Amino acid sequence: MKYRPYLLLAELTYRCPLHCPYCSNPARYPDGRELTTAEWQRVFREAAALGVLHAGLSGGEPLQRADLPELVGAAREAGLYTNLITSAAGLNEARLGQLKAAGLDNIQISFQSDQESPANRIAGAAMHRVKLAAARMAHAAGFPLTVNVVLHRDNIDRLEEIIALAEELEAERLELANVQFYGWAFRNRAGLLPTRGQIAAAVPVAARAKQRLLGRMRILFVTPDYYSDRPKPCMDGWGRRFLTVNPVGEVLPCPTAKEIKELRFDNVRDHALDWIWHESAAFRRFRGTEWMPLPCRECEFREVDFGGCRCQAALLAGDAGVTDPACALSPHRERLTEFVQAAQSLEAPDFAYRQNP
Amino acid sequence: MNALTDQSRAVLARGVRLRADPLSGEPLLLFPEGILPLDATTHDILLRCTGDLTLAGLLLALSEEYEVEPDELRTDVVQCLTHLRQEMLVVW
Ligand SMILES: C[S@@+](CC[C@H](N)C(=O)[O-])C[C@H]1O[C@@H](n2cnc3c(N)ncnc32)[C@H](O)[C@@H]1O
Ligand code: SF4
Ligand code: SF4
Repeated sequence: MKYRPYLLLAELTYRCPLHCPYCSNPARYPDGRELTTAEWQRVFREAAALGVLHAGLSGGEPLQRADLPELVGAAREAGLYTNLITSAAGLNEARLGQLKAAGLDNIQISFQSDQESPANRIAGAAMHRVKLAAARMAHAAGFPLTVNVVLHRDNIDRLEEIIALAEELEAERLELANVQFYGWAFRNRAGLLPTRGQIAAAVPVAARAKQRLLGRMRILFVTPDYYSDRPKPCMDGWGRRFLTVNPVGEVLPCPTAKEIKELRFDNVRDHALDWIWHESAAFRRFRGTEWMPLPCRECEFREVDFGGCRCQAALLAGDAGVTDPACALSPHRERLTEFVQAAQSLEAPDFAYRQNP
Repeated sequence: MNALTDQSRAVLARGVRLRADPLSGEPLLLFPEGILPLDATTHDILLRCTGDLTLAGLLLALSEEYEVEPDELRTDVVQCLTHLRQEMLVVW
Protein backbone atom coordinates (compact mmCIF):
# COMPACT_ATOMS: atom_id res chain seq x y z
CA MET A 1 0.00 0.00 0.00
CA LYS A 2 1.18 3.50 -0.85
CA TYR A 3 0.69 5.91 2.01
CA ARG A 4 -0.26 9.51 1.44
CA PRO A 5 -0.26 12.37 3.95
CA TYR A 6 -3.32 14.62 3.84
CA LEU A 7 -2.68 16.92 6.79
CA LEU A 8 0.40 18.82 7.85
CA LEU A 9 0.91 20.32 11.27
CA ALA A 10 3.51 23.06 10.88
CA GLU A 11 4.93 23.93 14.30
CA LEU A 12 6.49 27.25 13.39
CA THR A 13 8.20 28.00 16.71
CA TYR A 14 8.27 26.75 20.30
CA ARG A 15 8.47 30.31 21.61
CA CYS A 16 5.32 31.33 23.47
CA PRO A 17 4.44 34.11 25.94
CA LEU A 18 2.05 31.81 27.81
CA HIS A 19 2.98 29.05 30.26
CA CYS A 20 0.10 26.57 30.19
CA PRO A 21 0.93 23.61 32.46
CA TYR A 22 -1.24 21.44 30.17
CA CYS A 23 0.88 22.25 27.11
CA SER A 24 1.57 19.19 24.98
CA ASN A 25 4.79 20.70 23.63
CA PRO A 26 7.93 18.77 24.53
CA ALA A 27 9.26 19.49 28.00
CA ARG A 28 12.74 19.31 26.45
CA TYR A 29 13.06 21.29 23.26
CA PRO A 30 15.15 20.03 20.36
CA ASP A 31 18.42 21.76 19.57
CA GLY A 32 18.79 23.72 16.40
CA ARG A 33 17.75 26.91 14.64
CA GLU A 34 14.17 27.53 13.58
CA LEU A 35 13.43 26.93 9.91
CA THR A 36 13.66 30.10 7.80
CA THR A 37 10.88 31.54 5.66
CA ALA A 38 12.42 29.99 2.55
CA GLU A 39 12.76 26.60 4.23
CA TRP A 40 9.08 26.61 5.22
CA GLN A 41 8.14 27.61 1.68
CA ARG A 42 9.94 24.53 0.44
CA VAL A 43 8.27 22.35 3.09
CA PHE A 44 4.80 23.53 1.99
CA ARG A 45 5.60 22.87 -1.67
CA GLU A 46 7.02 19.42 -0.97
CA ALA A 47 4.10 18.56 1.30
CA ALA A 48 1.58 19.57 -1.37
CA ALA A 49 3.42 17.47 -3.95
CA LEU A 50 3.13 14.47 -1.60
CA GLY A 51 -0.64 14.92 -1.36
CA VAL A 52 -1.11 17.19 1.64
CA LEU A 53 -4.20 19.39 1.32
CA HIS A 54 -4.51 20.96 4.74
CA ALA A 55 -2.06 22.79 6.99
CA GLY A 56 -2.42 23.67 10.66
CA LEU A 57 -0.05 26.49 11.58
CA SER A 58 0.77 26.04 15.23
CA GLY A 59 3.59 26.00 17.75
CA GLY A 60 4.39 27.29 20.43
CA GLU A 61 2.80 30.54 19.43
CA PRO A 62 2.85 30.95 15.64
CA LEU A 63 2.28 34.71 15.92
CA GLN A 64 5.76 34.97 17.41
CA ARG A 65 7.01 34.54 13.85
CA ALA A 66 7.24 37.96 12.21
CA ASP A 67 6.99 36.24 8.82
CA LEU A 68 3.66 34.52 9.61
CA PRO A 69 1.70 36.28 6.83
CA GLU A 70 4.38 35.24 4.35
CA LEU A 71 4.21 31.67 5.58
CA VAL A 72 0.42 31.64 5.26
CA GLY A 73 0.83 33.01 1.75
CA ALA A 74 3.33 30.29 0.90
CA ALA A 75 1.04 27.54 2.18
CA ARG A 76 -1.88 28.97 0.20
CA GLU A 77 0.25 29.31 -2.89
CA ALA A 78 1.11 25.62 -2.57
CA GLY A 79 -2.66 24.99 -2.62
CA LEU A 80 -3.04 24.16 1.08
CA TYR A 81 -6.00 24.99 3.31
CA THR A 82 -4.68 27.06 6.23
CA ASN A 83 -5.86 27.04 9.85
CA LEU A 84 -4.04 29.25 12.34
CA ILE A 85 -3.89 27.60 15.77
CA THR A 86 -3.12 30.35 18.23
CA SER A 87 -3.31 31.61 21.80
CA ALA A 88 -4.10 35.01 20.22
CA ALA A 89 -1.05 36.61 21.84
CA GLY A 90 0.01 39.17 19.25
CA LEU A 91 -3.17 39.07 17.18
CA ASN A 92 -4.09 42.69 16.45
CA GLU A 93 -5.98 44.56 13.74
CA ALA A 94 -2.89 45.04 11.55
CA ARG A 95 -1.87 41.40 11.81
CA LEU A 96 -5.39 40.24 10.99
CA GLY A 97 -5.38 42.41 7.88
CA GLN A 98 -2.10 40.88 6.72
CA LEU A 99 -3.33 37.35 7.40
CA LYS A 100 -6.56 38.02 5.54
CA ALA A 101 -4.64 39.36 2.56
CA ALA A 102 -2.39 36.29 2.64
CA GLY A 103 -5.46 34.06 2.30
CA LEU A 104 -5.73 32.51 5.79
CA ASP A 105 -8.84 30.29 5.91
CA ASN A 106 -9.64 29.90 9.62
CA ILE A 107 -8.52 31.06 13.05
CA GLN A 108 -8.58 28.83 16.10
CA ILE A 109 -8.11 30.56 19.44
CA SER A 110 -7.54 28.67 22.68
CA PHE A 111 -9.04 29.84 25.98
CA GLN A 112 -8.14 28.57 29.44
CA SER A 113 -11.51 29.22 31.08
CA ASP A 114 -14.51 31.52 30.78
CA GLN A 115 -13.45 33.73 33.70
CA GLU A 116 -10.54 36.09 33.67
CA SER A 117 -8.79 35.28 36.88
CA PRO A 118 -8.66 31.47 36.64
CA ALA A 119 -7.89 31.72 32.93
CA ASN A 120 -4.89 33.94 33.60
CA ARG A 121 -3.74 31.72 36.45
CA ILE A 122 -3.81 28.65 34.21
CA ALA A 123 -2.06 30.42 31.32
CA GLY A 124 0.56 31.86 33.67
CA ALA A 125 0.00 35.17 31.88
CA ALA A 126 -2.65 37.91 31.81
CA MET A 127 -4.09 36.96 28.45
CA HIS A 128 -7.81 36.41 28.86
CA ARG A 129 -8.93 39.92 27.86
CA VAL A 130 -6.51 39.94 24.97
CA LYS A 131 -8.06 36.72 23.71
CA LEU A 132 -11.61 38.03 24.00
CA ALA A 133 -10.70 41.16 22.07
CA ALA A 134 -8.80 39.16 19.44
CA ALA A 135 -11.68 36.73 18.91
CA ARG A 136 -14.06 39.65 18.33
CA MET A 137 -11.60 41.33 15.98
CA ALA A 138 -11.13 38.11 14.02
CA HIS A 139 -14.88 37.79 13.67
CA ALA A 140 -15.22 41.38 12.52
CA ALA A 141 -12.43 40.83 9.98
CA GLY A 142 -14.56 38.08 8.42
CA PHE A 143 -12.69 35.03 9.69
CA PRO A 144 -14.50 31.91 10.77
CA LEU A 145 -13.60 31.11 14.36
CA THR A 146 -12.86 27.93 16.23
CA VAL A 147 -12.67 28.19 20.01
CA ASN A 148 -10.48 25.56 21.64
CA VAL A 149 -10.47 24.84 25.36
CA VAL A 150 -8.30 22.16 26.91
CA LEU A 151 -10.35 20.62 29.72
CA HIS A 152 -8.73 19.46 32.95
CA ARG A 153 -9.42 19.25 36.64
CA ASP A 154 -9.10 22.99 37.16
CA ASN A 155 -11.63 24.14 34.55
CA ILE A 156 -13.92 21.27 33.58
CA ASP A 157 -16.53 22.23 36.20
CA ARG A 158 -17.05 25.44 34.21
CA LEU A 159 -18.07 23.57 31.05
CA GLU A 160 -21.53 25.12 30.84
CA GLU A 161 -20.07 28.63 31.10
CA ILE A 162 -17.23 27.81 28.70
CA ILE A 163 -19.78 26.76 26.08
CA ALA A 164 -21.71 29.99 26.71
CA LEU A 165 -18.53 31.98 26.09
CA ALA A 166 -17.95 30.29 22.73
CA GLU A 167 -21.58 31.01 21.82
CA GLU A 168 -21.21 34.64 22.77
CA LEU A 169 -18.12 34.89 20.58
CA GLU A 170 -20.18 33.40 17.72
CA ALA A 171 -17.66 30.67 17.06
CA GLU A 172 -18.51 28.26 14.27
CA ARG A 173 -16.74 25.50 16.15
CA LEU A 174 -15.88 24.66 19.74
CA GLU A 175 -13.22 22.07 20.45
CA LEU A 176 -13.51 20.75 23.97
CA ALA A 177 -10.22 18.92 24.14
CA ASN A 178 -9.83 16.74 27.18
CA VAL A 179 -6.23 17.19 28.20
CA GLN A 180 -3.91 14.61 26.68
CA PHE A 181 -0.88 13.65 28.66
CA TYR A 182 2.25 14.48 26.70
CA GLY A 183 5.07 16.96 27.19
CA TRP A 184 4.34 19.45 29.97
CA ALA A 185 0.93 17.88 30.53
CA PHE A 186 2.52 14.54 31.32
CA ARG A 187 4.65 16.22 33.96
CA ASN A 188 1.55 17.80 35.44
CA ARG A 189 -0.80 14.92 34.96
CA ALA A 190 -1.59 14.26 38.62
CA GLY A 191 -2.87 17.83 38.93
CA LEU A 192 -4.63 17.88 35.56
CA LEU A 193 -6.53 14.61 35.46
CA PRO A 194 -10.22 15.29 36.11
CA THR A 195 -11.94 12.99 38.58
CA ARG A 196 -14.37 10.34 37.41
CA GLY A 197 -17.20 12.44 38.85
CA GLN A 198 -16.12 15.51 36.91
CA ILE A 199 -16.09 13.57 33.65
CA ALA A 200 -19.47 12.00 34.39
CA ALA A 201 -20.90 15.48 34.94
CA ALA A 202 -19.25 16.98 31.84
CA VAL A 203 -20.30 14.36 29.28
CA PRO A 204 -24.07 15.13 29.37
CA VAL A 205 -23.42 18.89 29.47
CA ALA A 206 -21.42 18.62 26.25
CA ALA A 207 -23.97 16.27 24.65
CA ARG A 208 -26.91 18.56 25.46
CA ALA A 209 -25.12 21.64 24.17
CA LYS A 210 -24.12 19.81 21.02
CA GLN A 211 -27.75 18.99 20.33
CA ARG A 212 -29.03 22.45 21.23
CA LEU A 213 -26.47 24.19 19.03
CA LEU A 214 -26.76 21.91 15.98
CA GLY A 215 -26.40 24.00 12.87
CA ARG A 216 -25.08 27.03 14.78
CA MET A 217 -21.90 25.88 16.46
CA ARG A 218 -20.26 22.53 16.01
CA ILE A 219 -19.06 21.04 19.28
CA LEU A 220 -16.28 18.50 19.26
CA PHE A 221 -15.86 16.71 22.54
CA VAL A 222 -13.34 13.92 22.77
CA THR A 223 -13.77 11.58 25.73
CA PRO A 224 -10.56 11.13 27.66
CA ASP A 225 -8.80 7.82 27.09
CA TYR A 226 -7.68 7.46 30.73
CA TYR A 227 -11.39 6.87 31.48
CA SER A 228 -12.07 4.63 28.52
CA ASP A 229 -11.57 0.93 27.78
CA ARG A 230 -10.39 1.59 24.29
CA PRO A 231 -7.46 3.69 23.14
CA LYS A 232 -7.81 6.59 20.75
CA PRO A 233 -7.04 5.86 17.08
CA CYS A 234 -3.96 7.97 17.42
CA MET A 235 -3.32 10.11 14.29
CA ASP A 236 -5.50 7.59 12.37
CA GLY A 237 -2.46 5.35 12.28
CA TRP A 238 1.28 6.06 12.36
CA GLY A 239 2.53 7.60 9.12
CA ARG A 240 -0.84 7.08 7.50
CA ARG A 241 -2.46 10.51 7.03
CA PHE A 242 -0.60 13.02 9.21
CA LEU A 243 2.73 14.73 9.14
CA THR A 244 4.23 17.17 11.66
CA VAL A 245 7.23 19.38 10.99
CA ASN A 246 8.62 20.86 14.19
CA PRO A 247 10.27 24.29 14.48
CA VAL A 248 13.77 23.02 13.79
CA GLY A 249 12.74 20.92 10.78
CA GLU A 250 12.38 17.43 12.23
CA VAL A 251 9.55 15.49 10.62
CA LEU A 252 7.34 13.52 13.00
CA PRO A 253 4.37 11.19 12.53
CA CYS A 254 2.68 13.12 15.35
CA PRO A 255 3.50 16.28 17.31
CA THR A 256 4.48 14.38 20.45
CA ALA A 257 6.56 11.63 18.81
CA LYS A 258 9.73 12.92 20.45
CA GLU A 259 8.49 11.18 23.59
CA ILE A 260 9.80 8.04 21.92
CA LYS A 261 13.47 8.16 22.78
CA GLU A 262 14.47 5.15 20.69
CA LEU A 263 13.56 6.90 17.41
CA ARG A 264 15.62 9.38 15.43
CA PHE A 265 13.63 11.78 13.28
CA ASP A 266 15.00 13.00 9.99
CA ASN A 267 15.15 16.69 9.15
CA VAL A 268 13.89 18.59 6.11
CA ARG A 269 17.30 20.25 6.02
CA ASP A 270 18.93 16.92 5.19
CA HIS A 271 16.32 15.04 3.16
CA ALA A 272 13.41 15.55 0.80
CA LEU A 273 10.06 15.29 2.56
CA ASP A 274 9.04 12.56 0.10
CA TRP A 275 11.94 10.37 1.22
CA ILE A 276 11.29 11.03 4.91
CA TRP A 277 7.60 10.13 4.55
CA HIS A 278 8.10 6.98 2.50
CA GLU A 279 11.51 5.69 3.47
CA SER A 280 12.78 7.03 6.79
CA ALA A 281 13.11 4.52 9.61
CA ALA A 282 10.94 6.52 12.02
CA PHE A 283 7.97 6.61 9.65
CA ARG A 284 8.25 2.94 8.80
CA ARG A 285 8.67 1.78 12.37
CA PHE A 286 4.96 1.63 13.34
CA ARG A 287 3.27 1.85 9.96
CA GLY A 288 0.47 -0.61 9.16
CA THR A 289 -0.06 -3.64 11.39
CA GLU A 290 3.20 -5.59 10.87
CA TRP A 291 4.88 -4.17 13.96
CA MET A 292 2.05 -5.12 16.30
CA PRO A 293 2.57 -7.37 19.31
CA LEU A 294 -0.19 -9.32 21.01
CA PRO A 295 -2.97 -8.58 21.90
CA CYS A 296 -3.23 -6.08 19.00
CA ARG A 297 -1.93 -8.46 16.35
CA GLU A 298 -4.94 -10.74 16.66
CA CYS A 299 -7.48 -8.12 17.66
CA GLU A 300 -10.49 -7.21 15.52
CA PHE A 301 -9.89 -3.51 16.21
CA ARG A 302 -6.35 -3.37 14.87
CA GLU A 303 -7.38 -1.44 11.75
CA VAL A 304 -9.75 0.74 13.76
CA ASP A 305 -7.53 2.15 16.50
CA PHE A 306 -4.14 0.99 15.16
CA GLY A 307 -3.14 -0.21 18.61
CA GLY A 308 -3.57 3.26 20.11
CA CYS A 309 -0.88 5.80 20.75
CA ARG A 310 2.83 4.95 20.48
CA CYS A 311 3.87 7.91 22.62
CA GLN A 312 1.54 6.83 25.39
CA ALA A 313 2.95 3.30 25.23
CA ALA A 314 6.45 4.79 25.57
CA LEU A 315 5.47 7.08 28.45
CA LEU A 316 3.37 4.61 30.44
CA ALA A 317 4.90 1.23 29.63
CA GLY A 318 8.42 2.32 28.76
CA ASP A 319 8.15 0.66 25.34
CA ALA A 320 6.69 2.40 22.28
CA GLY A 321 6.16 -0.98 20.62
CA VAL A 322 3.46 -2.34 22.94
CA THR A 323 -0.34 -1.97 23.03
CA ASP A 324 -1.43 1.44 24.30
CA PRO A 325 -1.89 1.05 28.08
CA ALA A 326 -5.22 2.89 27.78
CA CYS A 327 -6.61 -0.30 26.20
CA ALA A 328 -8.36 -2.64 28.64
CA LEU A 329 -6.60 -5.55 26.93
CA SER A 330 -3.14 -4.13 27.56
CA PRO A 331 -1.07 -5.92 30.21
CA HIS A 332 -0.11 -2.42 31.42
CA ARG A 333 -3.65 -1.15 31.89
CA GLU A 334 -3.68 -2.02 35.57
CA ARG A 335 -0.90 0.43 36.35
CA LEU A 336 -2.77 3.19 34.58
CA THR A 337 -5.97 2.30 36.42
CA GLU A 338 -4.07 2.50 39.71
CA PHE A 339 -2.82 5.96 38.80
CA VAL A 340 -6.34 7.07 37.87
CA GLN A 341 -7.65 5.61 41.13
CA ALA A 342 -5.04 7.35 43.24
CA ALA A 343 -5.69 10.65 41.47
CA GLN A 344 -9.38 10.68 42.51
CA SER A 345 -8.66 11.88 46.02
CA LEU A 346 -5.46 13.78 45.30
CA GLU A 347 -4.93 17.33 46.43
CA ALA A 348 -3.84 18.95 43.17
CA PRO A 349 -0.09 19.57 43.45
CA ASP A 350 1.51 22.78 42.24
CA PHE A 351 1.83 23.01 38.50
CA ALA A 352 5.14 23.06 36.65
CA TYR A 353 4.47 25.91 34.25
CA ARG A 354 5.69 25.60 30.68
CA GLN A 355 8.97 27.37 30.05
CA ASN A 356 10.32 28.74 26.80
CA PRO A 357 13.17 27.23 24.76
CA MET B 1 -30.96 26.28 13.49
CA ASN B 2 -33.37 28.03 11.10
CA ALA B 3 -35.60 25.73 9.06
CA LEU B 4 -34.72 24.77 5.51
CA THR B 5 -37.57 25.97 3.27
CA ASP B 6 -38.10 26.22 -0.47
CA GLN B 7 -36.91 29.82 -0.23
CA SER B 8 -33.66 29.03 1.64
CA ARG B 9 -30.44 29.69 -0.24
CA ALA B 10 -27.77 27.26 0.88
CA VAL B 11 -24.16 28.43 0.55
CA LEU B 12 -20.82 27.03 1.66
CA ALA B 13 -20.08 28.23 5.19
CA ARG B 14 -17.21 30.66 5.76
CA GLY B 15 -13.91 28.86 5.89
CA VAL B 16 -15.10 25.92 3.76
CA ARG B 17 -13.56 25.24 0.36
CA LEU B 18 -14.79 22.95 -2.39
CA ARG B 19 -12.08 21.66 -4.68
CA ALA B 20 -10.78 18.76 -6.69
CA ASP B 21 -8.04 16.63 -5.23
CA PRO B 22 -4.99 17.61 -7.32
CA LEU B 23 -3.75 14.01 -7.29
CA SER B 24 -6.94 12.04 -7.97
CA GLY B 25 -9.34 14.63 -9.36
CA GLU B 26 -11.94 13.53 -6.78
CA PRO B 27 -14.09 16.32 -5.32
CA LEU B 28 -13.59 17.21 -1.67
CA LEU B 29 -14.41 19.73 1.00
CA LEU B 30 -11.72 21.39 3.06
CA PHE B 31 -12.65 22.94 6.40
CA PRO B 32 -10.95 23.90 9.66
CA GLU B 33 -10.85 20.44 11.25
CA GLY B 34 -10.21 18.37 8.17
CA ILE B 35 -11.13 16.97 4.79
CA LEU B 36 -14.26 15.25 3.46
CA PRO B 37 -14.24 13.30 0.18
CA LEU B 38 -17.56 13.84 -1.63
CA ASP B 39 -19.83 11.38 -3.36
CA ALA B 40 -21.21 12.44 -6.74
CA THR B 41 -24.62 13.55 -5.44
CA THR B 42 -23.25 15.65 -2.61
CA HIS B 43 -20.82 17.19 -5.07
CA ASP B 44 -23.65 18.04 -7.48
CA ILE B 45 -25.56 19.68 -4.64
CA LEU B 46 -22.59 21.66 -3.35
CA LEU B 47 -21.67 22.92 -6.84
CA ARG B 48 -25.04 24.67 -6.79
CA CYS B 49 -24.68 26.13 -3.28
CA THR B 50 -23.46 29.47 -4.62
CA GLY B 51 -26.28 31.58 -3.24
CA ASP B 52 -27.89 31.94 -6.67
CA LEU B 53 -30.45 29.20 -6.11
CA THR B 54 -33.20 28.70 -3.56
CA LEU B 55 -33.87 25.15 -2.43
CA ALA B 56 -36.73 25.02 -4.95
CA GLY B 57 -34.36 26.18 -7.70
CA LEU B 58 -31.72 23.70 -6.61
CA LEU B 59 -34.21 20.82 -6.77
CA LEU B 60 -35.32 21.95 -10.21
CA ALA B 61 -31.75 22.18 -11.51
CA LEU B 62 -30.89 18.74 -10.15
CA SER B 63 -34.10 17.22 -11.48
CA GLU B 64 -33.18 18.40 -14.98
CA GLU B 65 -29.72 16.95 -14.64
CA TYR B 66 -30.97 13.60 -13.34
CA GLU B 67 -34.14 13.61 -15.47
CA VAL B 68 -36.52 12.98 -12.56
CA GLU B 69 -39.26 14.99 -10.83
CA PRO B 70 -37.95 17.56 -8.30
CA ASP B 71 -40.03 16.06 -5.49
CA GLU B 72 -38.38 12.68 -5.92
CA LEU B 73 -35.11 14.30 -4.91
CA ARG B 74 -36.41 16.39 -2.05
CA THR B 75 -35.90 13.96 0.84
CA ASP B 76 -32.33 13.12 -0.11
CA VAL B 77 -31.31 16.71 -0.81
CA VAL B 78 -32.85 18.01 2.40
CA GLN B 79 -31.18 15.24 4.38
CA CYS B 80 -27.83 15.94 2.76
CA LEU B 81 -28.02 19.70 3.35
CA THR B 82 -29.18 19.22 6.93
CA HIS B 83 -26.27 16.94 7.64
CA LEU B 84 -23.80 19.39 6.08
CA ARG B 85 -25.35 22.20 8.11
CA GLN B 86 -24.88 20.25 11.32
CA GLU B 87 -21.19 19.96 10.53
CA MET B 88 -21.16 23.72 9.77
CA LEU B 89 -20.15 23.11 6.16
CA VAL B 90 -23.13 24.91 4.60
CA VAL B 91 -25.42 27.62 5.92
CA TRP B 92 -28.67 29.26 4.74
C1 LIG C 1 0.33 23.31 21.59
S1 LIG C 1 -0.88 24.47 21.14
C2 LIG C 1 -0.01 25.64 20.13
C3 LIG C 1 -0.86 26.78 19.62
C4 LIG C 1 -1.18 27.92 20.59
N1 LIG C 1 -0.06 28.23 21.41
C5 LIG C 1 -2.38 27.58 21.43
O1 LIG C 1 -2.19 27.18 22.57
O2 LIG C 1 -3.50 27.75 20.95
C6 LIG C 1 -1.89 23.64 19.93
C7 LIG C 1 -3.31 23.28 20.36
O3 LIG C 1 -3.22 22.17 21.24
C8 LIG C 1 -4.01 22.42 22.38
N2 LIG C 1 -3.34 21.69 23.46
C9 LIG C 1 -2.23 22.04 24.12
N3 LIG C 1 -1.88 21.11 25.03
C10 LIG C 1 -2.81 20.14 24.93
C11 LIG C 1 -3.01 18.90 25.63
N4 LIG C 1 -2.18 18.50 26.57
N5 LIG C 1 -4.06 18.14 25.28
C12 LIG C 1 -4.91 18.53 24.31
N6 LIG C 1 -4.78 19.68 23.62
C13 LIG C 1 -3.74 20.48 23.94
C14 LIG C 1 -4.02 23.92 22.52
O4 LIG C 1 -5.12 24.39 23.27
C15 LIG C 1 -4.07 24.36 21.08
O5 LIG C 1 -5.38 24.38 20.60
S1 SF4 D 1 1.94 27.22 26.57
FE1 SF4 D 1 -0.25 27.33 26.05
S2 SF4 D 1 -0.37 28.94 24.54
FE2 SF4 D 1 1.79 28.32 24.63
S3 SF4 D 1 2.06 26.71 23.09
FE3 SF4 D 1 1.53 25.67 24.96
S4 SF4 D 1 -0.70 25.46 24.88
FE4 SF4 D 1 -0.15 27.02 23.38
S1 SF4 E 1 -5.74 -4.82 21.69
FE1 SF4 E 1 -4.77 -3.33 20.35
S2 SF4 E 1 -6.04 -3.27 18.49
FE2 SF4 E 1 -7.24 -4.29 20.11
S3 SF4 E 1 -8.48 -2.65 21.04
FE3 SF4 E 1 -6.60 -2.82 22.26
S4 SF4 E 1 -5.18 -1.35 21.32
FE4 SF4 E 1 -6.83 -1.68 19.83
